[in-house]
Amino acid sequence: MSIAVKEKETILEFLEAKFDPSEVEVISSINEKGIRNVNDFAFPTKKDEEWRFTDLRSISRNHFVPVDQAGAKDVGDISQYYLPEALNSRLVFVNGVFDAKRSDISSLSDNITIGRLSEQGDNEAVKEHLDAYTNYDEDKDAFAALNDAHFRDGAFIHIPEETKTESPIHILNIFTDADKAFYATPRVLFVGEKYSKATIVEEHIGLADNEYLNVPVSEYKLFEGAHVHHARIQRDSKKASHVSRPIANLEQHAEYHSYTICLGAKLFRNDPRVVQNAEEVDFTVDALVLIDGEQIADTHSIMDHRRAHANSHQLHKVVVNDNAHSIFNGKIFVARDAQKIDSFQENRNLLLSVDGKVNTKPQLEIFADDVLCSHGATIGQLSDDEVFYLQSRGLTEQKSRELLVYAFTLESIESMEVESVHKLLLDEVIKYTNRDEEFVAVG
Amino acid sequence: MLEIKNLHAVVEGEDIEILKGVDLTINKGEIHAIMGPNGSGKSTLSKVVAGHPEYEVTKGEILFEGEDITELDADERAHLGLFLAFQYPVEVPGITNKTLLRESYNTIARSNGKEELDPLEFEDYLKSKLEIIDMKDSFLERSINTGFSGGEKKKNEVFQMAVLNPKLAFMDETDSGLDIDALKIVADGINKIAGGENAIVLVTHYQRLLNYVKPDYVHVMIDGKFVKSGDRKLALELEDQGYDWLENKTMVNGEAQ
Amino acid sequence: MSETEALESMIGEEYKYGFSTDVEYEEFPKGLNEDIIRELSARKEEPEWMLEFRLKAYRGWKEMVEPDWFNATYEKPKFDTLQYYSAPKNKPKLDSLDDVDPKIRETYEKLGIPLEEQKALAGVAVDAVFDSVSVFTSFKEKLAEAGVIFCSISEAIQNHPELVKKYMGSVVPARDNFYAALNSAVFSDGSFCYVPKDTICPMELSTYFRINNMNSGQFERTLIIAEDNSHVSYLEGCTAPMYDEHQLHAAVVELVALENAEIKYSTIQNWYAGDEDGKGGIYNFVTKRGACRGKNSKISWTQLETGSAVTLKYPSVILQGDNSVGEFYSVAVTNMRQQADTGTKMIHLGKNTKSTIISKGISAGNSDNSYRGEVKISKKADGARNYSVCDSMLIGQTCGAHTFPYISSENPTASVEHEASTSRVGEEQIFYLMQRGISEQDAISMIVNGFVKEVLKELPLEFATEANALLNVKLEGSVG
Repeated sequence: MSIAVKEKETILEFLEAKFDPSEVEVISSINEKGIRNVNDFAFPTKKDEEWRFTDLRSISRNHFVPVDQAGAKDVGDISQYYLPEALNSRLVFVNGVFDAKRSDISSLSDNITIGRLSEQGDNEAVKEHLDAYTNYDEDKDAFAALNDAHFRDGAFIHIPEETKTESPIHILNIFTDADKAFYATPRVLFVGEKYSKATIVEEHIGLADNEYLNVPVSEYKLFEGAHVHHARIQRDSKKASHVSRPIANLEQHAEYHSYTICLGAKLFRNDPRVVQNAEEVDFTVDALVLIDGEQIADTHSIMDHRRAHANSHQLHKVVVNDNAHSIFNGKIFVARDAQKIDSFQENRNLLLSVDGKVNTKPQLEIFADDVLCSHGATIGQLSDDEVFYLQSRGLTEQKSRELLVYAFTLESIESMEVESVHKLLLDEVIKYTNRDEEFVAVG
Repeated sequence: MLEIKNLHAVVEGEDIEILKGVDLTINKGEIHAIMGPNGSGKSTLSKVVAGHPEYEVTKGEILFEGEDITELDADERAHLGLFLAFQYPVEVPGITNKTLLRESYNTIARSNGKEELDPLEFEDYLKSKLEIIDMKDSFLERSINTGFSGGEKKKNEVFQMAVLNPKLAFMDETDSGLDIDALKIVADGINKIAGGENAIVLVTHYQRLLNYVKPDYVHVMIDGKFVKSGDRKLALELEDQGYDWLENKTMVNGEAQ
Repeated sequence: MSETEALESMIGEEYKYGFSTDVEYEEFPKGLNEDIIRELSARKEEPEWMLEFRLKAYRGWKEMVEPDWFNATYEKPKFDTLQYYSAPKNKPKLDSLDDVDPKIRETYEKLGIPLEEQKALAGVAVDAVFDSVSVFTSFKEKLAEAGVIFCSISEAIQNHPELVKKYMGSVVPARDNFYAALNSAVFSDGSFCYVPKDTICPMELSTYFRINNMNSGQFERTLIIAEDNSHVSYLEGCTAPMYDEHQLHAAVVELVALENAEIKYSTIQNWYAGDEDGKGGIYNFVTKRGACRGKNSKISWTQLETGSAVTLKYPSVILQGDNSVGEFYSVAVTNMRQQADTGTKMIHLGKNTKSTIISKGISAGNSDNSYRGEVKISKKADGARNYSVCDSMLIGQTCGAHTFPYISSENPTASVEHEASTSRVGEEQIFYLMQRGISEQDAISMIVNGFVKEVLKELPLEFATEANALLNVKLEGSVG
């Protein structure tokens, strides 16, 4: 890192750039744009409103190399991470590189296209939709630019008209231990045609306790009447930095329900955006964040209502322990002619420790007059009355607190459609709440 | 008192006709019941008479005490003595019942050249009317319909009617959603106000309320028109047979019987 | 939509205070440099420390960049062509009303604020500030009997230097922000109030600010100190003539509440808002901050903001003393091309500190109305509580309502609750009220009134009527 004062620092200061253009034309043109932007966009500082509270030192004090120079360890057996519901509908990427051996898509019907972006260079849907919705230029997002510059592959899912996936599709991103800190840029493009229906589980898992920079971008395009249930589970290494930009773009009558679960990473920054592109849509942008230690979890979401008639809901639940720091900036936009919008946002924070910190900024920006938009935010602790009540029923204070934290998270977990994900999350919550004891009798 | 002649109305800015030629005459002291299946236009009729801006009269006239009121705004009609008890009473947060009623009462009194009541006189007057619907004083201090139960909202409409003492009241489905006790209280209230100079029109789907408030005339509306009028027995007939026999009749003959 | 038009016409009623008064002014060069500041300080016969304060602020200001983080766009003031001092030539001795320029007296009469004590509102003392210079303070003697000092800040600098020196800049430091630094460098006058220990101020205090001169910037400075166990209620009103050019108003208000003291500060801001096309109007860029220094102290801000072309204003409370209380009640109405970015900051430092924020925004016409607030619970603020409600009402299709609440907590025993909603005046509500005999205009007034009354009831009783009249709500006596 150079000490000299510069006009502006780019993300290139903190990583070893290796951006060989892809051989696939549709990807290489995006790479070129990405390379220009990476050189052009400043690395954010606390002076940027959108990064005001975010401590980026886990990135800026590091130097990340491309994964092939990192001395990455072998992945080994990862079958424990396979979802039983998606045994034959799974795409696996290891350190950002497609793993054909561990992927299995045999259960999906023939007319569903699923596979590697790099093999879909001639696919019309890829040509039309890849990079069509990120719009990261608007906010000069250096991380999305990095993804654009660097990605060579990714997951592509295309569900044709009136088609339904019988099993959930599992996109499993695995990160292994390595000698050096590396960076990876996973990419997902999902296209749901008219009246299609799909359940997607996007998961990020760090196998070791190493440093890496995970910068995923995903784009979901839902055509008329398409329904998508989208679960995103972040279980990166507790030393990793994860900066992601998941976008959904909705046409008429589309329904998009997304649930983000944040458990891992030293720094998690998530910028989900849902753009309502036509009338009468329904969407959810929920999240559950469980952090402790030195973790930072930062969500900057946008619910962008551009047309009339939408129902949207956001429940962002956070539990903070130890020195962890949660940041939430949830924006509800309603454009000038987007009448009859019913949008509700809720941010509930449980601050359990003396050294934890919560920043929240629920933001309404309304330009239409016939709308009903509201938000609520609370920061608090467990209610003494509730703890006392449980104690009076014979539970220890510690156990009472665990149980109440557990109860606080349940609402978010219950939205999970996939049974094994539901169970997995319950286990994770128990692990999180039960930090000192071996066994906990709830569930 | 009220004379409706060949009234046609559409939703403002749309072509769909909801009232398709309604004729109705109401005299002082009478109680009328307008019955009909859902969507027949009976609620629309009361709104049109009250002057709801959503509807446009395309043909015919509404005469109130000989004066054509179709061009008047809702408040001007209220000044003449017309009252509408809403099917879905609207919540208006921040304005108390008392504030509304004093403003209403005095505005109406003023426009009729009558004396306004000062706050203390008005308070006493209100309390005397509260008994009619069996409500506590605190009812007056609550924001209009805000957080009221369904029954409380309906009672509030009857209470407001008692306070304003209108010459003619349209009561739109005031009975719907009331339990038997509340229904009796509401019916009692209506009976106390009715008679003498005042006339009342009960708009209802069921004849439940008519067990307690005895109408002089019953009219059945189907598809934007009255298809049959009669006395109280008609309501009982409808209770037994439903609306189908009347609907079929219209279908067959092509016009009201 | 007729109800919309009716409401627009109601709150867009023609500005009544737009006349200007023809008075002679002391000549003062335009632009700003250290010499100008020295000259200004010399004319006011200020002590050396005051000049130093100004120069320090000026040097800080020169280094600063004009902020642009708020939700408003406007042509930036041209600081080098502004006139930084403007005082009527016939400066009164501030002792007798007879010395006040009759034209200025007349101005206040026209505004409905008679300066003669016998004509005044019962129980209200007035400091009249005309183009940033205090021209008269009424009821001085009566207040002095109670030990309360109420005078212009210029007088306070001469007569009570130890108080001014101790407290000025202690809440809003000279270099706090761009506009506060500018004010600290060039402030011309303003009000000063000191309430001694164990004293309940016997009257409502009020300052009426009047901008008259077209070319001058307006930089008032207000300082209120409430000693232990004291109580004071203060109200400011603001009007200005209609000019085509924008005028800058950059005031600083500092409040200090010591142990068990309570300060209630109310504002009825009705500066000229500009015309329908956004021509003219006041830029109201004001720094207002109170410090609850002592235990159990309380500072309460209530504001009714209806004027100004652009308002950037965040009356704040620093809750230092344990158990101290901060309150912010605000109604901001914007219409035409007005832009308001206003809200509050509640900084919780002491234990068991409590804050309440009730903000009501009404936007109509082509205006933009933003609530921006910060609630900060610091690490040591055990048991701190905040409750915020921010509601917006939209009237018409071309306005915007925005809510930017920043909330942060570093203490696990604190609790913060924030709610916000945006809705519109409903057609069904209006029809319901009209069916009860109430005219459309009155129906809208009632709804608006119902929306804001939670805030207006916080205004001192003497001014509630004025506030209602300002909202043009015609329901006398039925509010509250």
